[in-house]
Amino acid sequence: MNYSLTILEMAVIALGLGLLLLDLWTPAGQKRQLGYVAAAALGFVLLFSFSSLVDSGVTATAFNGMYVQDDLALFFKRFFLLTAILVLVMSVEFADCIPTGISEFYALILFALSGMMVAASTNDFSLLFVAVELITVTFYVLTSFQRSRLASLEAGVKYLILGALSSAFMVFGIALVFGTTGKLNFTELAGVAAQFSADKVFLLGLLLVLVGLGFKIAAFPFQIWAPDVYQGSPAPTTAFLAVGSKAAGFVLLLRVLFGAVPEVTAHWTRLLMAISAATILYGNLCAIPQRNLKRLLGYSSIANAGYMLLGVAALSRAGQSAVLFYLGGYLFTVLAAFTVICLVMRRIGGEDISALAGLNQRSPFLAVTMTLAMVSLAGIPPLAGFFGKFLLLKAAVEQGAPNHAYYWLVAVAIVGVVISLYYYFGVVRAIYWSEQPADLSPIQISTPIKVCLCLCVLGMFVLGLFPGVVVNVAANAVATLKF
Amino acid sequence: MKLEFLPWLILFLPLLSAATITLFTQKNRELSARLSIGAIVLCFALSILFIAANGWEPLKKETLVTWLEVGDLQLDFGLRLDPLSLLMVLVVTGVGGAIHIFSWGYMREDRAFSRYFACLSLFTFSMLGVVLANNFLLMFIFWELVGVSSYLLIGHWFERASAADAAKKAFITNRLGDFGFMLGILIVWALGGGLNFSLIEDQLRQNPALFGSMTTAAGLLIFCGAVGKSAQFPLHVWLPDAMEGPTPVSALIHAATMVAAGVYLLCRVFFIFNTPALHVIAWVGGATALMAALMAVQQDDIKRILAYSTLSQLGYMVMAVGVASPTPAMYHLTTHAFFKALLFLGAGSVIHALHHEQDIWKMGALSKKMPMTFATFVVGAAALCGVPGFSGFFSKDEIIAAALNPRHGSLGLFLLAAGVAMLTTFYMSRLVLVAFFGPARSDDADQAQESPKVMTLPLLALAVPSALAGFFGIAQLYGKQLGEAHSSFQVLAMAASLGAVVFGLALAWGLYWRAEKDPLPEKIGPLARMLRNRFYFDELYEATVIKLHDTIAAIAEWFDQWIVAGLMVRGAHGTTELFGRALRLAQTGNLQTYAFLFVLGVAVVLYLVLGK
Repeated sequence: MNYSLTILEMAVIALGLGLLLLDLWTPAGQKRQLGYVAAAALGFVLLFSFSSLVDSGVTATAFNGMYVQDDLALFFKRFFLLTAILVLVMSVEFADCIPTGISEFYALILFALSGMMVAASTNDFSLLFVAVELITVTFYVLTSFQRSRLASLEAGVKYLILGALSSAFMVFGIALVFGTTGKLNFTELAGVAAQFSADKVFLLGLLLVLVGLGFKIAAFPFQIWAPDVYQGSPAPTTAFLAVGSKAAGFVLLLRVLFGAVPEVTAHWTRLLMAISAATILYGNLCAIPQRNLKRLLGYSSIANAGYMLLGVAALSRAGQSAVLFYLGGYLFTVLAAFTVICLVMRRIGGEDISALAGLNQRSPFLAVTMTLAMVSLAGIPPLAGFFGKFLLLKAAVEQGAPNHAYYWLVAVAIVGVVISLYYYFGVVRAIYWSEQPADLSPIQISTPIKVCLCLCVLGMFVLGLFPGVVVNVAANAVATLKF
Repeated sequence: MKLEFLPWLILFLPLLSAATITLFTQKNRELSARLSIGAIVLCFALSILFIAANGWEPLKKETLVTWLEVGDLQLDFGLRLDPLSLLMVLVVTGVGGAIHIFSWGYMREDRAFSRYFACLSLFTFSMLGVVLANNFLLMFIFWELVGVSSYLLIGHWFERASAADAAKKAFITNRLGDFGFMLGILIVWALGGGLNFSLIEDQLRQNPALFGSMTTAAGLLIFCGAVGKSAQFPLHVWLPDAMEGPTPVSALIHAATMVAAGVYLLCRVFFIFNTPALHVIAWVGGATALMAALMAVQQDDIKRILAYSTLSQLGYMVMAVGVASPTPAMYHLTTHAFFKALLFLGAGSVIHALHHEQDIWKMGALSKKMPMTFATFVVGAAALCGVPGFSGFFSKDEIIAAALNPRHGSLGLFLLAAGVAMLTTFYMSRLVLVAFFGPARSDDADQAQESPKVMTLPLLALAVPSALAGFFGIAQLYGKQLGEAHSSFQVLAMAASLGAVVFGLALAWGLYWRAEKDPLPEKIGPLARMLRNRFYFDELYEATVIKLHDTIAAIAEWFDQWIVAGLMVRGAHGTTELFGRALRLAQTGNLQTYAFLFVLGVAVVLYLVLGK
C-alpha cells in the first residue's frame, strides 16, 4: 500500500477539518477571513504538488490499483486546487450574503475539492462512485446554502433529486458492468473489454455510467438541471460547479472512455458526436433569450461542455489534449466572469443583465475584466477561448478525412460560436452602452480579489498568446490514455 | 548577446503604461503623466544600456520567440536588432521623450489629460513595434496600430468637428495606402515563401528573379504603404489637416516618428526594389518635395507652414531612397526628426503664449519677449534650411549629391532638389521674419511671455542635436548597414545648397523685413492664390474621389440595409431566436417534468445505441 501518494488529498481534508476546528476559536467578526487562510494554505498545497515528492514523473498506484497518480491526475489536481483558491477568495466577498456558517461554507468547498482530486486519480468504478458522491453530496449543501433565499433552496432540492436519479442510474450501471465482467478496476477491465464489446448488458451498464457522468458535465440530454441550479445557487457555488464539478466529470469521462474501455469507445464515435452537436446547439440557442446573467452562463456552460465533447469525440490524442487546454482557459474565463457578477450583484437581489449598466464608470477594471471574459468565451483572439476552440476544431478536422461526419460536427460548432457571439456581446453592450444607469456608485474591490482577477486576465492572455507550454503539458498528460 | 530581454522590455513598457493609465489611473492626472513620461524615458535609458552592452551590431541580429507552433503552422514574434533599428529606437524614445515632457506643460489645462498620455504611450509602443519588427506581418500589425493611435491623437479634441474630420481623413487616407501595402505583403508571402526580412533578403540575393515579373509590382505596392504613412503625393492631403491635433502630437507624429515610418520601411526593405520601381519612387518623392515647398510659401498658419515643410522634407527622403541612396535618406530622417520636432515644439510654445493664436500675421516682435523659444527656433530653422555647420546641412547635402549619381539620379532631380532647398530657405525665413520680428500685430503678441521651464527645457534638449548632429557620425553608422553614400559630386552639391540658402534668405529679407502684410499676392496674383489653395487638391478629390465614393457607399448601404441586414441577418436571427424561445419552453422549472425529461433522454440514448 502506498498511502503517501494521497498526500495532496489528505492535506486538503485535514485543512477542511482544521478550518472547522479553527472556527470555534475565531471571533464571529473575523470568521470570513478564514477563507483567506484556506486559500493561502491551498496555495501551499498547489506549490507542493510541483515538488518531486509528489510529481515524481512516474506513474504509481495505491489501494490495489484503485488509485493512480500520473500526469493526467496531477494536471487535474492542480487545476482543481487553482479553481478552489479562486472560489474561496470569491466566497470571502460573498460572505455578506451568508448570514451564518461561513466557515462551513469554506470547509464544504474543501471537501468537494478533495472529491474532485480523488476523481482525478480514479482507476476503479467503486472509487469513481465514491468520488462522484463526495462531490455531489457536498454540492447539495453548497447550492442551498443561502437558507433564507427561496431560489437557493429550490436549486438545492432540484439538484438533490435529479442528482440522486442520475446516481441511481450510475450505480446500476456499475453493477451491470461488474456483473458481466467481474471486474471493477479500469486497467483490468481494459484487458477484457474487447471480449464483451458485443454483450448488450455490459454495454447497457457502461451507457448508464456515462449517463451519470453526462449529468455531471451537463451534456444533452442530461443538462436539464443546469440552468435552474446555476441561477439559484450562491455565486461562488455556481462558479465552482461550472468549473470544478464539470472538469471532474470530464476527467472521469476520459478515464472511463480511454482508460477502461477504449475498444468499446471506438464504436461510439457517432453517439459522442451526436451528443456534442446537440449540446452545443441546445446551450447556445437557449442562451439567446436569457436576461439573467447566471442563467445565461449556465446555458453557456452547457454549450462549452458541447465543445469539449467535440474534442472527446475526436478520439485522438490531439482531441483530448485540446479538451485539457480548453478547460485551462475555461477556468480563468469563467471564474473571472463569476467574480465580477459576484461583486456587482451582491447588493442586489436579482442578477439581471441590466445591473451591469454603467459598470465601465463604476469600475473600469471590472468592466474590462468582464468584457475580456465574454470575448474569450466567444472565442475571439488573442484570448484563451480562441485558442482552445481552435485546438478542438483542429483535432476534429484532422479526423475528418476518414469520417466525413466530423466536418458536419465542426460546422455545427461554428454555427454555435456565431450564435454565442450574439449573447456574449449582449453582455458587453450592457456594460458600455446602456441607457441611463440608475446606480453609478463606485464598486469597492479588495486587494485579494484584485489579485485574483488580474491572475485570471493574465491567464486568458497567456493561454491565448503563448499557448505552447500548456499545450505541451496537456499533451503529456493524456499520453497514458488509449485510443 | 547580452541583456537579450532588454529590447522586449523597451517595446512593452509603453504598452504597459498605456494599459495602466487606461485601466487604473484615469482619475489621477499627475500620476498618469508621470507613468507615461517615466516609461518612455526609461525606454531611452534602456536602449542606451543595450547599445552600450552590445555595440551597434549585436552578435545576434534577431531575438525571437515562437508565437505559436501547432503542427506545421509556425508564427514568430521577433525583434530585429541592427544599426538601423537601434538608432531609430533612440530617435523615437529620445525625441519622443522630449515631446512627452513638453506635453506635460502644454496640455496642463486639458480635460482629458490622462487619456492624452495613454494615447501617447500607445503610439510609442506601436512606433517601437514598427521599428523593431523582423517580419512583414508584425510590421503590418504595428503599422496599423500606429494608424489607430494617430487617429486617437489627432482627434484628441474630438468635440471640434474639424479635429474629428481630420482624424478620419488621416486614418482613411492611410488605409488606402495600407491596402496596397497588404497586397504587396501577400505577393511577397506567396512568391517568397516567408515573411521574415532577412529570409527574403537572403533568397533575393541567391535568386534575384525570385518574384519574376511581379518584382516591380511588389516593390510599388509596398511603396504604397510608405506613400500613405509618409504622406507622399497623391496621398499627402491628410498631413496638413492633421495639424488639428495638439501641437506636441504634431511634433511627435508629423515630424519625428509616424511620417518617418514610411521612409524607414523603404530603407528596411530596400533590397526588394528594382530599378523601374526606384525611378517611380524617386519622382514621386521629388514631386512631393517641390509641390509641398511651393504650397508652404503661401500659408499663414504657423503649424501648416511646418506641416508642408515636413511634406517637402519627406519628399526629399523618399527621393533619396529612389536614387538608391538609403543612407542619406535615413541620415536626413534622423536630423529632420530633431529639428522638425524642435520647430513644432517651438511653434507650440508660441501658440501657448499667444492663447492658441496660430496666424503668423497676428504675431510679431516675439524675439525679445520669448528669447529662449526664439533662439531654439532659429537653430531649428537654420538646420532645416541647411545653413553650413548645422545638422541639416550635412544630410541634405548628401541627398542633393546623390540626386546626381549617374545610375539612378538625373540632372532633373538635382535641379529639383536644389530648387526645393531654395524654397525651403525662403518660406522658413518668411516665417521667422514675420513671427519673431517686425511690430507686434495683435494684443496677444504684445503681451506674450516666455513659456515655463517644462516647455523650454525640451526645446533646449532638442536644439543641441539639431545643431550638432552632423558631427555624431550618424551617416557612418547607417552606412555600415545600408552602404556608404558614394558620390563624386559633393562639391557641386555643396555649392548648390549654399547658393540656395543665400538666395532664399535674400529674397525673403527683401519681401518680408518689417512687412505689415504679405506682398506676394499682389506681385504674382493668381499663382499665389493657387499656392494658398494648395493647388486645389482637396477640391479635386472632393469632386472626384469622394463623389464616386459617396455613390458607391449609397449603393452599398442600400444593399446592406435591405439584402444583408433585412433578409439575411434578420432572417437568420429571427429563426435562431425562435428556436431559442421554443427550447426554453422545455425548461419549465417543474421538477417532475425535469425528471421525466431526464429519463426520456436516458431511454433515447439507450435505444439509439442498443436498439438496433
